[in-house]
Amino acid sequence: MIEPVSPEYQKFYDIFENVDQSKVSEFKDFLEANAVNFNLFKDGSFIERSFPFDMIPRIIPKGEFDHLEAGIIQRVKALNAFLNDVYGEQKILNDGIVPREYVDSAKGFLPEFMGVVSPKGIRTHISGIDLVKDAVTNKWIILEDNLRVPSGVSYPLTIRRAFRHTYPEFFESMKISKLKQYGDQLKAAMAYVNTGGLNVVLTPGRYNSAYYEHSYLAKITGATLALGEDLVVENNEVFLRVYNGERRRVGAIYRRLDDDFLDPQEFDAQSLIGVPHLAAAYRAGNVAIMNSIGNGVADDKGIYYFVPQMIQYYLKEEPILSNAPTYLPYYEKDRAYVLANIDKLVIKDVAEAGGYGVLFGNRLTPEEREEIIGMILADPRRFIAQEVIEFYDLPCMMEGEVLPRKADLRAYVIHGEEITVSMGGLTRYAMEEGNYLVNSSQGGGFKDTWVVEL
Amino acid sequence: MMTNGVAISLNTAQRLYWFGRYVQRAETLLRELVNSYDYVIDRDVADGEKLYAKLGVELHYRNALDFLKQGVYGDHSSSIESIIRWARENAIETRHLLDERGFAALNKIHNYIVAGRESIVSPTSLEEMIDNFALILGIFSSELGRPKAYNFIRLGQYVERFDLILRLYEGLDLVNAELEGMNAIARRLNVSYQPLSITSSDIAKALEGVNGVIGRVIRDKTSVQSQSQG
Repeated sequence: MIEPVSPEYQKFYDIFENVDQSKVSEFKDFLEANAVNFNLFKDGSFIERSFPFDMIPRIIPKGEFDHLEAGIIQRVKALNAFLNDVYGEQKILNDGIVPREYVDSAKGFLPEFMGVVSPKGIRTHISGIDLVKDAVTNKWIILEDNLRVPSGVSYPLTIRRAFRHTYPEFFESMKISKLKQYGDQLKAAMAYVNTGGLNVVLTPGRYNSAYYEHSYLAKITGATLALGEDLVVENNEVFLRVYNGERRRVGAIYRRLDDDFLDPQEFDAQSLIGVPHLAAAYRAGNVAIMNSIGNGVADDKGIYYFVPQMIQYYLKEEPILSNAPTYLPYYEKDRAYVLANIDKLVIKDVAEAGGYGVLFGNRLTPEEREEIIGMILADPRRFIAQEVIEFYDLPCMMEGEVLPRKADLRAYVIHGEEITVSMGGLTRYAMEEGNYLVNSSQGGGFKDTWVVEL
Repeated sequence: MMTNGVAISLNTAQRLYWFGRYVQRAETLLRELVNSYDYVIDRDVADGEKLYAKLGVELHYRNALDFLKQGVYGDHSSSIESIIRWARENAIETRHLLDERGFAALNKIHNYIVAGRESIVSPTSLEEMIDNFALILGIFSSELGRPKAYNFIRLGQYVERFDLILRLYEGLDLVNAELEGMNAIARRLNVSYQPLSITSSDIAKALEGVNGVIGRVIRDKTSVQSQSQG
């Protein structure tokens, strides 16, 4: 079901009918010429892949976005408080709001970092909050919080420029929110937590799927782009190996690699892309790691269930945005419901991400159903179940036709001195009709997201 | 408490330098290829073989058009395709410091070359490519914001130019006439740089000296310098 046309959307269509639509091909040319890629490894081979783009933007009326913004800020505030608490006094566990077992068994929880204070008390420096708009209730629903290394922000920022150049008509006639301040906000957030020294974007390197984004973020923030081997830790301080043999102190690292690979001394000893002893420098408070080490406990799919309770607990507020109706087989009552209604639920493996480990109950064969039931009974903590959200399709131009496709929205949040939500975000759509998995790693494409004021 | 500023890592400096070298190599060898194509038709069918022999490549071709094809797509380290691929690889790793239009212009050439692998190579398309390389170098020279990055590219260009002058023409005089320009750039990049002078008439020694310049600019030592706080 396609979202009803708002006056803001109508304004877009009125202009769209009169522009030269053959210029749409310029976007593809632009993305190819600029190697705006989301790379893939397939069958052991590295494939440079342009991220498919659809020119019809998702349009969100300003008033609606204001509501979203307030809800997202509230959520990130609570998640940051949760992380500080979980790695500190653990009040929320002691008070029984979140079961201790859920935290202790979360793959992303790193008890060896208990008591480590993150500079300025910020751990969720850059978040990506995934939402969909429910076609039944017409309300936005949070699907996932990404608090480790959320990617994708560079694509709408990059395409916006191409859009302005190819179709200035829209920007002359419509009041579309500006995105350009993202770079400044990220730079300011790095400066805010910097412990003295350079700002660095730490990349796993050119063969990472999001390498384009890493170089883009270094460019717009003026930070130094570094590989693990460019950094060295001495006396619990981090230094950049400068080309002339000098070493310069590093005060903030926006790391674009997961905890597992960050420091071979602390985590995976086989990691060749990390920085030995970086975790020790972080523990000593000598460098800000953005996002902080151990954030995976807060964006665990099982912990997601408890975010509304976190908002009430830490902020003494009611959640502005809702979760998808979620069941934890860990709880006996929920488990009974899940097993009885598995045909109409989505089952998610909490250890998976990127659209992997997601099973739609109504598509399971009897054998698969029995298998998943057995797995839930054997390890209920490993799974969550959610009601299927019938979220809106968005109109997409595909081979000359406008066709409906499922689409979500990833909103980008920067937590510096203040918490700000980028006035747009990444809208991802599925390539096939009826497919609910929109992730780029599942072959999905992207749209720009316009916040429009009439 | 924060200080910031542009700092170029060891890896990035090397990539910028090699980017400059490969772009210069592509531009110069494209020129040589087109010139030699005319000679192969008009003067000496072995001219192309002689050109590539100076680069240490044994090139075989059936006719002048095949000579172009081998020069662009041949299975050897001096093929235009492989040089452009390496230029692009280095550009991808340093694109955060490069002008976007310059990067896109190079990438378009790369995509064009890759797409044309099964087609006949026309001298006209190579001439257009030469113009595009001149454009790319012009774009980078006009960018004002990142002079240090551009100086690494310039240094790479100088070294590559000297290297090819020595290999192809044994032009010691030409190199000596421009040496101070390269030394000045190297000094800007590293104040401890010891200038290169070429006194011997031995081409191999001159090549060694020219190619060793980067080792006088990029150093991996262990001194620690804390940045001033402010």
